Amino acid sequence: MNGLKLHAQTLRKWEGSLFIAPWIFGFFAFVAFPLGFSLYMSFHRVKVTVSGIETVPNGIDYYREILFADGGLLYNDLIPFLREAAVMIPVIIIFSMLIAILLNQRFWGRTFFRVVFFLPVIFSSGQIVLEFMKQGEGSLAFVESLRINAYVAEYVPKAWVEPINHVISSFVLVLWYSGVQILIFLAGRQTISSSVYEAARIDGADPWNTFWKITLPGLIPFIFLNLIFTVVDLFTFPSNPIISKVSTANYGLSSALAWIYFVIVLAFIGLALLMYSRVDKAFGGKRR
Amino acid sequence: MERIAHAPESRRGWTREAAAGRADSVKYVLLGKEADQGLLFRLFLYLILIDTAFIYLKPILYMVITMLKDSSNMLDPSVVWVPRSIFIGHLEEAFRLLKFKTGFLYSLTISLSVAVLQIVSCAAAGYAFARLEFPFKKFWFTALVFTFILPPQLTILPSILMFKQIGWANTYLPMIVPALFGHGLKGALFVIIFRQFFQTLPKELEEAARIDGANAFRFFFKVMLPLSKSAMIVVFLFSFVWNWNDFYLPSMYMSGSKEVPLSISLAKLAASLSADEAQGGISIFAEPVKMAASFLIIAPVLVVYAIAQRWFVEGIERTGLVE
Repeated sequence: MNGLKLHAQTLRKWEGSLFIAPWIFGFFAFVAFPLGFSLYMSFHRVKVTVSGIETVPNGIDYYREILFADGGLLYNDLIPFLREAAVMIPVIIIFSMLIAILLNQRFWGRTFFRVVFFLPVIFSSGQIVLEFMKQGEGSLAFVESLRINAYVAEYVPKAWVEPINHVISSFVLVLWYSGVQILIFLAGRQTISSSVYEAARIDGADPWNTFWKITLPGLIPFIFLNLIFTVVDLFTFPSNPIISKVSTANYGLSSALAWIYFVIVLAFIGLALLMYSRVDKAFGGKRR
Repeated sequence: MERIAHAPESRRGWTREAAAGRADSVKYVLLGKEADQGLLFRLFLYLILIDTAFIYLKPILYMVITMLKDSSNMLDPSVVWVPRSIFIGHLEEAFRLLKFKTGFLYSLTISLSVAVLQIVSCAAAGYAFARLEFPFKKFWFTALVFTFILPPQLTILPSILMFKQIGWANTYLPMIVPALFGHGLKGALFVIIFRQFFQTLPKELEEAARIDGANAFRFFFKVMLPLSKSAMIVVFLFSFVWNWNDFYLPSMYMSGSKEVPLSISLAKLAASLSADEAQGGISIFAEPVKMAASFLIIAPVLVVYAIAQRWFVEGIERTGLVE
């Protein structure tokens, strides 16, 4: 009997292994191997010839060059971009949460609005958005007429003026980047059962309280998920300044740059994780 | 709901309570007992929704209108939104410059084959992650999350070299073959979506099938895949659209090829138009031609979205996309 059970378990393992085998093969072929090779290249001078690839060890020279010698490669683009991302990420999260909560209500024309609000999912991933931005579709007339820029220049530390103003002037872009985030929040909102809201209503909770005590705590995992998604999305978007510098012109240098960049992305995600664990602890008691 | 709560009190004639009740109901008409009722909230809701919808739709409207303007309409300052006549010359011009017919076929080949392959391969991987047992499962799940956050730029250079070595440079194969194994553009995200979806399905289904003697493969293809229609639609739409719009991978893998997808011809077109501008002054036709080209490229995706949106929106809600 015991032997039979053991047999069934190994069988299950075999089935599972067969199912996952293609993915694992793909992981080695298209992720792990290129990744290792890129790390290798970042320490080597790479020459691509007709017959193959020649590599000459170069030590950490490329890293030293990017980090300390030539500021133009990394810092000039990276620091404004990071500042912008730091402004953009919370705006995207808050905006998409607001829209998702609104879209979750029952109201006339809901289907129409949902179709429209999912449009960015389709457009925001490509050349089209870049074209729109070049046409000046990125700015909002009414935001500009409020002259927020002047206030920002007055009250905000100098280093942050430029990125904040850029986010304001390309506010539409921020909205366009929030398509998937709205979807995630909408799906997340569905996971909070309506009986909780009913119970709160019977207890006499007003909408304001309901939002802070039920909706928001319930959405915390999704805020976190969106945080990671937004970071990943912003940092891997092809129009991102660092990414356009990773080119076939110099394999070694580009690989080193990509690795430095990846470490920065990881740091951002790590920060998101840390924040999540803090917030989750704070809200954890209330949720249960 | 609140009427019932207050009714007995007012009937008993406790005037103070009744007045409070009346004040409450005024408040409730304006503010709503719950967030989705109440007049003020409604107005606010529509204000925000209509504004935002307008922001989303405006570029598309602008695009369509600009491409339909002929020279007289463009020079007429009184024409802002509604052109006096409809002119399709720019569309024809863009059609020709983009080599739309062949480009369309290339784009369709890549996006459709990647989307179909990713549906099957990512579903299988997602199913394994959700329900099956295999060695080092936790490790591989970490690897999956890792592939999700990995910027493609980190692996692109070695991949170019690798595909060159095996003679796949300037073909579609570097885009399509990874999809066969559950990777490819955003493949990790699709595996995660399928994993989340399969986790929501009841475990009893599997137990019943196991007692009936069905193995995992039969069960997966006969029961699980047909059940996962909503997840499949979500993945299909994402995969198709993202591959259709993707410019980065084709530009890296197919830089020397003549058979380029539309996203690349659009970039080339925009570049050549702005080069013309730099040389020979600003042409008033550059703008409408660019808009017409953009329209030609998103039109097929819009059609796919229009067909799939109903199931897509439903699917998003039903997959639970995330845990």
